[in-house]
Amino acid sequence: MPSTSFKDELLSETRNLRAFAISLSGSVSLADDLVQESLLRAWSNSEKFQPGTSLRAWLFTILRNIYYSNYRKRSREVQDSDGLYARRLTVPGDQESHLDLEDFRNALTKLPAEQREVLTLIGASGLSYEEAAVVCQVGIGTIKSRLSRARAKLVELLELDVAPQPPAERKVRRAG
Amino acid sequence: MNAARVTKFEKPGPAPDLPAEAGTEAVQAIQAIGRALEAHYADLVQAPLPDKFLQLLTRLDDDKSGSKAQGKRDALD
Repeated sequence: MPSTSFKDELLSETRNLRAFAISLSGSVSLADDLVQESLLRAWSNSEKFQPGTSLRAWLFTILRNIYYSNYRKRSREVQDSDGLYARRLTVPGDQESHLDLEDFRNALTKLPAEQREVLTLIGASGLSYEEAAVVCQVGIGTIKSRLSRARAKLVELLELDVAPQPPAERKVRRAG
Repeated sequence: MNAARVTKFEKPGPAPDLPAEAGTEAVQAIQAIGRALEAHYADLVQAPLPDKFLQLLTRLDDDKSGSKAQGKRDALD
């Protein structure tokens, strides 16, 4: 039976859980349904959580399983009409930085879900490669390759300049 | 969109795990993506949280407390 402190621990992770859900589904309303269902499932399965391990990773695993079992098709159906988070959750700050984030968010939505989730888990949620591998139920090598492909795709979509320098030229530059 | 606009974000990004032969531009591009990702995610984390999550957990916790109290009463009867 969950203790009161377990309730507090769940509450302390709810913001991160919701952020992951929005990143995964691309929909705020679906994300809220996902979070609600995940909290219910976590509560009723609290005895399965191993103290000392990452509660965040455990909750993300639950949410991800629910998403891929029940919500993935729905999210594709509602994504356009729901108003993506770039417009629903506007960014405070000057106009230019707002536009930058919107460009970035638009690029994120174009990534395959499996790449977007790995990018989010490693680059933003603070999970280790090992924890991300457990959440996504794949090996660490797969996590690394998905992360690499996600970054390369974003570089392409955002038209970032990554022209490689010839090795000889790099040597000259270092020497100079 | 170009690199100069993305690199406006000042938050430190995750250390890039690029191969040693990657050029300076590639490293900077990955760092810019890392910073933008963190800024994007921070907005999601800081967005107002609907009350229904606190209400749900409070109700579940109250139900647990209620069932415990009922169990004690049953034991005394």
